[in-house]
Amino acid sequence: MARTVETVIQFPYKRSLGPVFGEFMTALTHRRILGVPWGDKVLCPPLEWDPYTAEELTGDLVEVGPAGTVTNWTWVGVPTAQHPLDHPFAFAHIRLDGADTPMFHAVDCGSPESIEVGARVAPRWRAARVGSITDIECFVIGEEPVTPEADGGGAAEPVTLMDYHVAITYNNPVPANAERSVEAAGRQVLLGQRCPECGRVYSGIVGSCVIDDADMGPDHEVELPQRGTVTNFTIVTPTQYPGQTETEPFSRCMILLEASDVVLSFQLVLDTPPTDIRVGMKVAAVWPSPAERASAGGAGGGLVGWMPTGEPDNSDPDLVNRIM
Amino acid sequence: MPESTDIAIVAWGMTPMVRHTDQTEPGLLRVAIGQAVERAGVSRQEIDFTCEGSCDYISGATFSFVQNIGALGAWPPKRDSHVEMDGAWAFYEAWVRLLHGDIQTALVTGSGRSSTAEPSLIYPMEMDPYYLAPLGADPATLAALQARALLDAGKITERQMAEVAARSRRVAQDNPYAQVRGDFDVEELLASDYVRDPLRRHDLPPISDGACAVVLATADKARELCERPAWVSGIAHRSEVHNPALRDLTDSVGTRDAALAAGLDLSADSIDVAELQAAFSHEELLLRASLGLSERTEINPSGGALAANPIMATGLVRIAEAARQIIENGRQKTLAHSTSGPCLQQNLVCILEARP
Repeated sequence: MARTVETVIQFPYKRSLGPVFGEFMTALTHRRILGVPWGDKVLCPPLEWDPYTAEELTGDLVEVGPAGTVTNWTWVGVPTAQHPLDHPFAFAHIRLDGADTPMFHAVDCGSPESIEVGARVAPRWRAARVGSITDIECFVIGEEPVTPEADGGGAAEPVTLMDYHVAITYNNPVPANAERSVEAAGRQVLLGQRCPECGRVYSGIVGSCVIDDADMGPDHEVELPQRGTVTNFTIVTPTQYPGQTETEPFSRCMILLEASDVVLSFQLVLDTPPTDIRVGMKVAAVWPSPAERASAGGAGGGLVGWMPTGEPDNSDPDLVNRIM
Repeated sequence: MPESTDIAIVAWGMTPMVRHTDQTEPGLLRVAIGQAVERAGVSRQEIDFTCEGSCDYISGATFSFVQNIGALGAWPPKRDSHVEMDGAWAFYEAWVRLLHGDIQTALVTGSGRSSTAEPSLIYPMEMDPYYLAPLGADPATLAALQARALLDAGKITERQMAEVAARSRRVAQDNPYAQVRGDFDVEELLASDYVRDPLRRHDLPPISDGACAVVLATADKARELCERPAWVSGIAHRSEVHNPALRDLTDSVGTRDAALAAGLDLSADSIDVAELQAAFSHEELLLRASLGLSERTEINPSGGALAANPIMATGLVRIAEAARQIIENGRQKTLAHSTSGPCLQQNLVCILEARP
């Protein structure tokens, strides 16, 4: 089995709630559960629109529950990190008193023998409520809601936004070509591959020619030149979001390697203010020192970036089109 | 003059479906596409239109389908499209594109490496963002609620569910691409513990890596490329309300409506083979009832999604398998079904037939 690289991707969503979800979430902070009139029925949890006809639901929200009846359930023996409880529990459809549609939520009841269709349940409130469906920590068997002793109380202002943060861990196998590319970078060699059929040269790790589908392995490897010309660039002005580490504008440059057709994408030009970067600028590869390489763990293909050589620019007007 | 807009499947390809592969997703696609174009007897360059189904959340990279284009041979530049759905919906788009009549061939793919991350943690992100996603509503949980609704309504039994799983694994022994296969005793399956009461391990699909490719062609080209093309006599899809709490979980109205829109005569009992994307055993029983399929119709001779479930390709595999039954096995009329969303929210039905 190939070595794998672990990547954790975070999805930090912030959602506007709008009038109906907002009022529902605000009420949750006050330990009240609301539904919306839906013809002669009550829909809970409420929606802004009729789920079947998409007509706007305009009636004033009405209080339901807090107790309700289990209409369907399943048992979660091994909860995931995203589940609301960290020990075995039931997920259930719960029709709250006064509502006509069931709400999906957790029931903390110890064992699957303690729950059945028809069971009566009531909410257990979280102490610190922010305006989220998880303000109800779960439901418990019985008629009486449970409120923590150190209750945080309701929101002073209407809740208008909700956060939804998920992190997913991905493990990707490292293709053999990529391993050799990283190994070559350790020797300060930029590795490429030449297609045996069409002769095109690719940088790094592709493994097959995207034009004619020919396989490329160790026999097709070539050393790429380490000097080149900026053909095009963009200046990225970072906006701040969770996980963003950049604070100042930086460049991402396309670099055409000397005596080849290979263009490297999204490269960093070093020691140059973004405003000084220009099409035609001549640059040379900069490798990390042994100490830097050890701390970087060989990630990112190995190059630190590209340093301007000071040679006269290439003034070819077509150069700007060479982005691949 | 436009070509005739009769459209047929002329070739297919797929990777073996496995729990984990070291192949990249473009690598899997190269294998599936390579088989498909070789069977069709065309080069990648001769294909007029390509459409892929895959999912960034599964692969863990934004615009991951851009990498996948490397497997298509997109030079000279091609007409290409992508759906963030199962390849079965890419197939639908390709069919619509060919209906324009100005091009002759299309290549459709579905691909996914589900082993890259935990599907039970990824799926909740496609759920209702206010009421379901924050609770981590995972597919096995929601499927279990549908299974209980069917059991409580007396429409199915746990024994029937186990029989579906045992049959799927048994017939999968004849499918070299399947992942979960073997002879299993129904009594022993029923004696195992619940994973999500009332679902046991055998009622759930495996986690699979894999890819599938299908070549479509318009009438004259189809006859040129294939001795016995699988003609698309009808294809349609229908979506229902998202939140399963707001649906009658004991019926699949959308599947039936899609089948009717695709031209299925429910009373004709005309389908030889149906490949249904039932990732959970009870879904096969529900789909069979919703489509009114009789005992005459052979269900999932490939083993179905219970034997291999490469997310984003599972539905296209159903279409490829239904086409194989006509192209290679001499069947007259077959049906393929694909689904998307919790508890069979959106359903696609494709009806294929042989023609003289």
